[in-house]
Amino acid sequence: MDRRKMLALLGISPALVAATPSFAGTAPAPAAAGCESNGLVTVLNPAIETKLAERVPLAPRLSTLEGKTIYLVDTDWGGMDQNGGILHEMQAWFAQKVPSVKTIYKIKSGNFVTDDPGLWKEIADNHGDAVIIGVAG
Amino acid sequence: MSREAGEIEQKYKIPTVAIAGQNVVSFGLGTNFKYNTGMPIRFVAVPFPFSGQPQSVLASYVAGKDMVSGQPFMRAVVDALTRPRTVDDKLSGPAPGQAAPEPRLLAPDTPDNLQSLFMARDWTDYDPVTLPTEEKVAAMLKGTARRPDEIVKSAAGTFGSRRPFTVEKVATVAVMAGAKPEYLPVILALSTRVPYMDSTTSIAQMIVVNGPIRNKIGMNSGMGALGPDNEANSVIGRSMTLIHKIIQGYKEGVTGFASLSNPLRYDNLCFAENEESLPDGWLPLHVQVGHKPTDNVVTIFTGWNFINSTGWAAQHYAPQFLMRDYMSSLSGMGATIIMDPSVAELLKGAQGFDTKAALGDWLSRNVEKTAESYWGNSIVSSMLAPLARQGLKPYAEWLNVPAKSLIKPFATGNSINSVVAGGKTASVWFATDLRPDGGTSIDEWM
Repeated sequence: MDRRKMLALLGISPALVAATPSFAGTAPAPAAAGCESNGLVTVLNPAIETKLAERVPLAPRLSTLEGKTIYLVDTDWGGMDQNGGILHEMQAWFAQKVPSVKTIYKIKSGNFVTDDPGLWKEIADNHGDAVIIGVAG
Repeated sequence: MSREAGEIEQKYKIPTVAIAGQNVVSFGLGTNFKYNTGMPIRFVAVPFPFSGQPQSVLASYVAGKDMVSGQPFMRAVVDALTRPRTVDDKLSGPAPGQAAPEPRLLAPDTPDNLQSLFMARDWTDYDPVTLPTEEKVAAMLKGTARRPDEIVKSAAGTFGSRRPFTVEKVATVAVMAGAKPEYLPVILALSTRVPYMDSTTSIAQMIVVNGPIRNKIGMNSGMGALGPDNEANSVIGRSMTLIHKIIQGYKEGVTGFASLSNPLRYDNLCFAENEESLPDGWLPLHVQVGHKPTDNVVTIFTGWNFINSTGWAAQHYAPQFLMRDYMSSLSGMGATIIMDPSVAELLKGAQGFDTKAALGDWLSRNVEKTAESYWGNSIVSSMLAPLARQGLKPYAEWLNVPAKSLIKPFATGNSINSVVAGGKTASVWFATDLRPDGGTSIDEWM
């Protein structure tokens, strides 16, 4: 049976199937002139093709946090010291639950949309073992 | 957030966990990972709302659950830093698999089914679109001398720089919006400004067209300029909405998270400046930023607020005073007054503002608000409080004055713009916090 007729019997729009990612591009796209006579229309696809980003690996993880130095970096989202509350609560949790962890709280310079490469270098130079960065919404 | 975490992980090999609201996490683990960063950054999510919440609420979040994994919040944090990397976490180079291919033509179907498909793919503003047949798109392309396959830009922002789009794609969107071929150069110029700014706040855009093309394509700069009463204004505005959704890839709840959003987004407040009715000495918007009067320019403004004068200008209280009063409720990060030509004439003739710049200067010297109200705006505090703490004037001074002290939030006159439009049937105006982008040439796309 013709694929289009089969889909029609199932109550499925051929175009909808064609545009579903797993099927997209597999449906034939006959010349527009031939389709108009059936009451069907051929249209351009407005969607922009997207390429997947090249993968970048995560850094190796720590085997334990015991005895490590963790930087808590405040992105300063919201400004006016609005943002540190959650990080301070996390700092208190480490102090109580894993006291061997040394936590250092830092506010990123600039504002929440600017980069702070100087701070990342400072963390590395001071042998920071891990970073918790937040908070944004 | 992904950028910072990724930089720390990649450059310094330091394990990092990012703490964020679910909107940032959803974007970071979804489209941003797939199309932008390529790094499976580990996130832990706090519930909403967290901004402006008392410490007791924040403490309950940290004592509660991670909104991503459902496990206890701090266990999730420790896990993100210590759980060994999976095979997927270690991948580098080309991503496995392919993004969904997008054929140039969709499979033929009935018009009703295609309308449903366009709705399902979120390619509409939920009004029916004009179906972009090859014939209609070919006709639209006659509106520009550019080649259909020419790359306009790689759409940055939502999907990074991996989405090059062509003149034909923009023409397709223009057909869908109901545009005429002569509108296409304006729409192409608009598309070059992708990505349009998005936010969880109610951010919006405004489109103002200057130059001879306004009249040539029938844009309205006169009576009803800001309303739904002109084809070119309406359709060009709608085109921007569709560009935002289709080309930029904005999808509410997936790539964008505007909590309330903004009704200005329906048509992006598209109109033309009434250059013919500007008082002598008042320059058109595009000329103010260095273009020639004969240049055709589209300017995109971005902001949040749109305050109506409500009534006409009163004889006993000149317009600039009411503008000043209303503007004290704006953030101070920039403003644009949209005014009827009759208001401009009053300001020039009766009040002595010889230029738009003179009005901007006066307003910057006279609009006041308390320091606590100024810093109470979270956009201001997010962007400027960190810089104030680092000593940047005048913000550093405003951070250190008593809360009830009056400050002048518009630090310079050139942060306040004026655009003239309207039909002179009432001396009305709007005070907005919309800020212009400097203008984009339309002529290059003719």
